[in-house]
Amino acid sequence: MFNFILKRTLVIFPTLLAVSFIAFFVIQLQPGSFLDSYLEDPRFSQETVTRIQEQLGLDKPLIVQYGLWVWGIVTRGDFGQSFTANRPVAGLIGERMFWTVEIAALALIFSWLIAIPIGILTAVRRNGVVDGLASFLGYAGLAIPDFLLGLLLIALILSLNGKNVGGLFSNEYIDAPWSFSKLLDHLAHLWLPIIVIGVNHVASLQRQMRANMLDVLNQDYVRTARSKGLQERIVIYRHAVRNAINPLISIAGLSFAELTSGSLIAATVLGLPTIGPFLYDSIKAKDQYVVITLLLLSSLVLMIGNLLADVLLAIVDPRIRYE
Amino acid sequence: MKKFVLAALLISSLGVAFAAATNGEPRLSNMPKLGLSAGKYGGTLTLSLPASPGSFNYYGITDNNTYTLIGNVFEGLVEYNLETYKMEPNLAQSWTVSEDGKIWTFKLRKNVKWHDGEAFGADDVVFTYNNIILNTEAKGNSAAGFPKGIKFEAVDDLTMRMTLPYASGAIIQQLRTFIMPKHKLLKYSIEGGAKPSDINTVWGTGSDLNEIVGTGPFKFSSYTADQKVTLTKNTNYWKNDAFGNKLPYLDKLEYLILKSPEAQVAQFKAGTVNALNITGAQFPDLKQGEVNGAAYKVIKALALFGSPPHLSFNFDAKDPLLARLFSNDKFRQAVQPAVNRQRIIDDVFNGLATLPGTPVAPVSSFYFNTIKYLGEFDLKAANAGLDALGLKDSDGDGIRNFAGGKNIEFSLIAPLDNAFFAGGPIATIIQNDLKAVGLKANLQTLQNSLVFSKLNAGDFEAGIYGFGNQPDPELRKAIWQPGGDLYYWHRAMRSSTPGGTPNFKLMKTWEKRIWDIFDQASKLTDQRKRGALYDEWQLLNAKNLPVIMIAKPANIAAVSNKIGNFVYNLGPIPGYVTNHIAYLK
Repeated sequence: MFNFILKRTLVIFPTLLAVSFIAFFVIQLQPGSFLDSYLEDPRFSQETVTRIQEQLGLDKPLIVQYGLWVWGIVTRGDFGQSFTANRPVAGLIGERMFWTVEIAALALIFSWLIAIPIGILTAVRRNGVVDGLASFLGYAGLAIPDFLLGLLLIALILSLNGKNVGGLFSNEYIDAPWSFSKLLDHLAHLWLPIIVIGVNHVASLQRQMRANMLDVLNQDYVRTARSKGLQERIVIYRHAVRNAINPLISIAGLSFAELTSGSLIAATVLGLPTIGPFLYDSIKAKDQYVVITLLLLSSLVLMIGNLLADVLLAIVDPRIRYE
Repeated sequence: MKKFVLAALLISSLGVAFAAATNGEPRLSNMPKLGLSAGKYGGTLTLSLPASPGSFNYYGITDNNTYTLIGNVFEGLVEYNLETYKMEPNLAQSWTVSEDGKIWTFKLRKNVKWHDGEAFGADDVVFTYNNIILNTEAKGNSAAGFPKGIKFEAVDDLTMRMTLPYASGAIIQQLRTFIMPKHKLLKYSIEGGAKPSDINTVWGTGSDLNEIVGTGPFKFSSYTADQKVTLTKNTNYWKNDAFGNKLPYLDKLEYLILKSPEAQVAQFKAGTVNALNITGAQFPDLKQGEVNGAAYKVIKALALFGSPPHLSFNFDAKDPLLARLFSNDKFRQAVQPAVNRQRIIDDVFNGLATLPGTPVAPVSSFYFNTIKYLGEFDLKAANAGLDALGLKDSDGDGIRNFAGGKNIEFSLIAPLDNAFFAGGPIATIIQNDLKAVGLKANLQTLQNSLVFSKLNAGDFEAGIYGFGNQPDPELRKAIWQPGGDLYYWHRAMRSSTPGGTPNFKLMKTWEKRIWDIFDQASKLTDQRKRGALYDEWQLLNAKNLPVIMIAKPANIAAVSNKIGNFVYNLGPIPGYVTNHIAYLK
């Protein structure tokens, strides 16, 4: 097991290098450059544009720019400067990291807490009224884009004369120090993004769980358990669910990375201070070091998530061994 | 050298902007004329920003969100009069100009303090111009607006002298740019021994906000990334209202960072955001709310700024047949009647736009009315014009053909997310009408920044875009003077060296004349002579159609009934804010 984790950890580094290399050159395929926004401003002369190009190192060949960036990370832990903010990339990402992780983690927990029981229930009461209703809601949840759900909920809140229409805090609490009332205000805002971002996942997870359960319930060992005279509750929870849940653990490993970058439009509509919209703005502005660093981070989260899922799988399922 | 007092002239001819009250305090005396009243003190005004500011250093960045915030914190030597759009004294109390127009002497205002209590003076002004504004390594410098060889010197604590290499008619427009505190920035400047580019690194969004001191009505108090910027009242602000009360009225000014128009409207309807710039597309929903008794008003203003969209054809298109056609003045003149401006105004702008004039804003004193040259929407006339060029549909497929039989087909690029107009719908209407006259345009809608990149690189055939209006044509010379850095529809004329003279051989006669007009007007100080030259330019534009202007969008805002003295004369333009006179009712 230790060897397995070590091997997988070591693979992360060359993978990240490859990701950054590809990402760097893909960004360069965008037409135009960061400096185009300067040209449109009446204040700037061609001379300024040339000077800034030199300052940012954009006059050097691409491979040199890339090499210097990698060298900066390896030697100084410096992920480069943001062109649009004149600040190190790491600080800018740090400012947005906490909220991103909070929302992603809570949305993930929310979707599991809702989806797993529904999946079990609909598999056990297959083709019943509950199953039909859950399937309908599931399809609706999959079909409605998250941002649309967000807009619908905002319209609903407004029509009920509500005030919490996006963001993570009421206006007066945003820059206030932490207090109990600030926490309450935060919770009053938090449910909206968690539902909006989580619902999509509820729908797909619930369908997966139902399918896995149906698969498992038809297995010989479940029949054996039942014929031993075990209570149905024990058959379901001890024998069926524990086996049916394994594939979902692998999915969870993948979905963490998706929750950070996948909810871009919803985060924009809901006014969330998260990484998704930041990445989008940086791509638009061709702020290259911010973009590659965020892509690196996203790949890192994905790989760590996968590794954790694999480890977790080995722990919950004694049949899985990596030796 | 004989001198005359220009400031006195300004005051007598243009209406009093600032008058000294009995105690010598400067007052905003034209408030009653603008329908503004004395405000109540206290309260918080909440506005929105479409993204986080990139920096709090005006000269370290090119970012509209930064500009909007900085307009509340810093001031320039002069400022727009909100009624006449002329420049009036601000940090400069008055100035004199030598007869040859080259030496300007500014008397600065006494008793102006930086937010940290230090006195403001001529040293700050000279420092800012020499080390920052004219420093081409500063990412947000304004060197391009000043002639090379310009000199700034301090005569005494409150007197500053500016010496120009030649008289310049629009120089006063440039002096609105913000003055920075020498005592805070000296160590990051060339004068203080730092590298010229070091000025870019100060006052980033992670820095201590107490270090950012201006002379303006508000100062920064807190910033939470992607959520909010808060500013508080400068209790020592030097400006008074028309009635002798100290400004500003508000205790606090907040900007919520809301990236999507939907989020902005939602927060506005919820009553959190007090005022919002809106587009024609959002108008029906908000206006309906107002009619149904919501506590806000939707207002429309003919403002100074704002980008009118235009249709351009690339004179230097890669396909030589298209290039020859597009650069033919008669072709563009034939196409103009096929542009259905009224339908675009009605359908795309919901009626909230007017017929376009010239590239100059209609409220500017330089505006010359050329509406009659726009003609009417008339497909027959367009067809006749194209027929006269010998462009017939020789193969009967509904599309006109070049002499060799090739269809006249080209791409039309338009921006999806321009802040002032909906490029997609405008392009679709134009595409349909061009089809009706036998021209096949293939529509390609892209992000605004990409459209600009492609246009300015000459990588397009036809396009829809808009450049912002400015009060003085000199400020938009790079766009409208042939061979300029943004004269993108005929790039071949651009000089091969930056700042060099353009290739006159490639200029059409009218383009050469326009080039001369801009060249002459920039070196004249007599505003009437400049006006006459720019009139001629606007007429040449209207007749020869370097681009075909489409519409002039109105500026629309939704404002909570709680807000008093909301001034919208400048339009939604970053860096031009009037929050010092706003108040809560």
